[in-house]
Amino acid sequence: MNMLEIENLHVVVQGQEILKGLSLVIRTGEVHAIMGPNGSGKSTLSYTLAGREGYEITEGRILYRGENLALQTPEERAARGMFLAFQYPVEIPGVTTMNFLKTALNAQRRARGAKELDAMSVLKSVREAAGALNVSEEMLRRALNVGFSGGEKKRLEILQMALFKPVLAILDETDSGLDIDALKLVADGVNALRTPDRGILVITHYQRLLDYIVPDRVHVLDKGRIVAEGGKELAHELEAKGYAGLARDAA
Amino acid sequence: MNERATAEEFLLQDFAADVASRPASRPSWLDERRRRAVQNFREEGVPNRRIEQWKYTDLRGALEAQSAAVLAGPVLHSDGNPFAAISAFQLSISNGCLQEPSSQIPLEIELFDLGRLDDEAPNWVRQNFGEALSRNTMGEASLGMMRGGIAMRVTAATTTPVHLDFLQNADAVHCRLLLVMEPGASLVLLESHGKSRGLINLGVELVLEPNAQLIHVRLADSAPDAVQVEEVAMRVSRDARYRGHFSHKGARLSRLELAIALEGEGAEAELSGASVLGGKLHADVTTHIDHTAGKTASRQLFKNVAGGNSRAVYQGKITVRKGADGSDSRQTAKAILLGAHAEADLKPELEILADDVKCAHGAAIGDLDSDSLFYLRSRSLPEDEARRLLIHGFLEEAILEIERDDVRLAVRDFLESGLAQALESGS
Repeated sequence: MNMLEIENLHVVVQGQEILKGLSLVIRTGEVHAIMGPNGSGKSTLSYTLAGREGYEITEGRILYRGENLALQTPEERAARGMFLAFQYPVEIPGVTTMNFLKTALNAQRRARGAKELDAMSVLKSVREAAGALNVSEEMLRRALNVGFSGGEKKRLEILQMALFKPVLAILDETDSGLDIDALKLVADGVNALRTPDRGILVITHYQRLLDYIVPDRVHVLDKGRIVAEGGKELAHELEAKGYAGLARDAA
Repeated sequence: MNERATAEEFLLQDFAADVASRPASRPSWLDERRRRAVQNFREEGVPNRRIEQWKYTDLRGALEAQSAAVLAGPVLHSDGNPFAAISAFQLSISNGCLQEPSSQIPLEIELFDLGRLDDEAPNWVRQNFGEALSRNTMGEASLGMMRGGIAMRVTAATTTPVHLDFLQNADAVHCRLLLVMEPGASLVLLESHGKSRGLINLGVELVLEPNAQLIHVRLADSAPDAVQVEEVAMRVSRDARYRGHFSHKGARLSRLELAIALEGEGAEAELSGASVLGGKLHADVTTHIDHTAGKTASRQLFKNVAGGNSRAVYQGKITVRKGADGSDSRQTAKAILLGAHAEADLKPELEILADDVKCAHGAAIGDLDSDSLFYLRSRSLPEDEARRLLIHGFLEEAILEIERDDVRLAVRDFLESGLAQALESGS
């Protein structure tokens, strides 16, 4: 079954067309990677999938688990199992990380018709997930992402992913700003979610992350369109030739 | 009768009726000063919007609207005590008059009932009462026309907080509070205003002698038709420290004015507060901090959330006098508007006459951050819940510095319930 079908997607942001006919299919159980240079439309794709206001679909469509996404709010998509790990996680002063996690976890459970968890159960789940990702108690007590390093913010994104157990996880340049140890931690977290009933979309500029999260398919995005597709070896080819070299080959 | 006469006549007639209703009292040491205060009020009248410091807050208009209305019903109900969870020595002030305390006064505290001025007043009352200059005529009115009030002297460090529970259901009540903190004394002072109605006019004088420490937390939740005016004048001596927190969620019009003189080296004042407003409420916090001595420090953080047709005002003036070198002053005021009809006016002001000082100030008015809203929604929080969490975080910064856990919790609950009301009142 197809987890995600993107057909001829055109997206306009602030009057400018950024995605210009992008098509992509992710089958359940698969890990796909989208690679592309800066400005190719990678983040626009991730925001459009998550339902951000101001990202207008002017043509084409997105089917998520067989349903058209166009009319769904971000929270509805999240409740239906979509999760976006942000390239730039936001800082929220005055809201502790723990309080945020509890609120989000219970909002999701409510939306799915499950019973809310009490503070103790939340604490237990969070601690379990936090240990594996090297997220300290002290971080959980601080205001969400405020004063966190780049690596800490990314680890916290993956911690949320581990807690929410999404059906489709989208990672938007999760590798940027990570050292090699943090990269491995993050990759382990993602690989733990790699089960036959899930789908994962890894968006990245560099091939490095794909050594640790090995994709089933690789797509190259340029100027709002997929310009090349292949297996995991395509990532290595890109690394060797660069985006410009690949564009020459394609031409 | 011309328009100008209305608000003053309303108050003066009310005062005359109050005096007539009481038995004649013996002459008091304060009579002359009070006569002068009434005279000052009579001459200058209720502050109006032509006065720079009152241009955002139409007190006269609010009083005129009130004097035309008859207060409905004598219901005197407090909407629950916001400090109920805190074990405190409680003093009730009903319609400006101090009630008999129901428990033993802590040993370190002396109390004098200002409703019994013809009694022999102790020296510390005579020396300090009515001494702090009033910045506006409402302060003069609170002295000249006062029905009663409290004078307190704290002589040493205390552990039990004192809770002043004000409650009112009269057209107009003028009341005074004097608190003298002796050298080295410390106190946690809690102040609440229940669901008071009418014009509540409170004049407060605080004296902090060297090394004294005062934590003052005021939660104002007056009825939505109340007009609440409070003027706090304070002297902070060498190495004394004042920490005040002021949160509002009621009153058709509320004006809190703080005038703080940092008079001795090492004196400190830290102010924080939050106004959470909906409907047609109006809350004005105006501060004057005067660094007259060197190495003095002041910090201010005021947060405002305004929904419906409400209006939040902050005016903060900091003066660093010539010679007050080494002083450090910080001031931040922020507002979030929940809708197109809400308004906020933030006006920080600095006057620096010394050479070597650190001053920082900032003010910002805005909507909730759209990046943050999207982030929270992508984590499956419905939009209204996401907004609420962001506002909660915004307000939380203003209460983080409250040192006592139990007091901080009480303030948080107070604001959370105010926020629910403000959000209900629509955008």
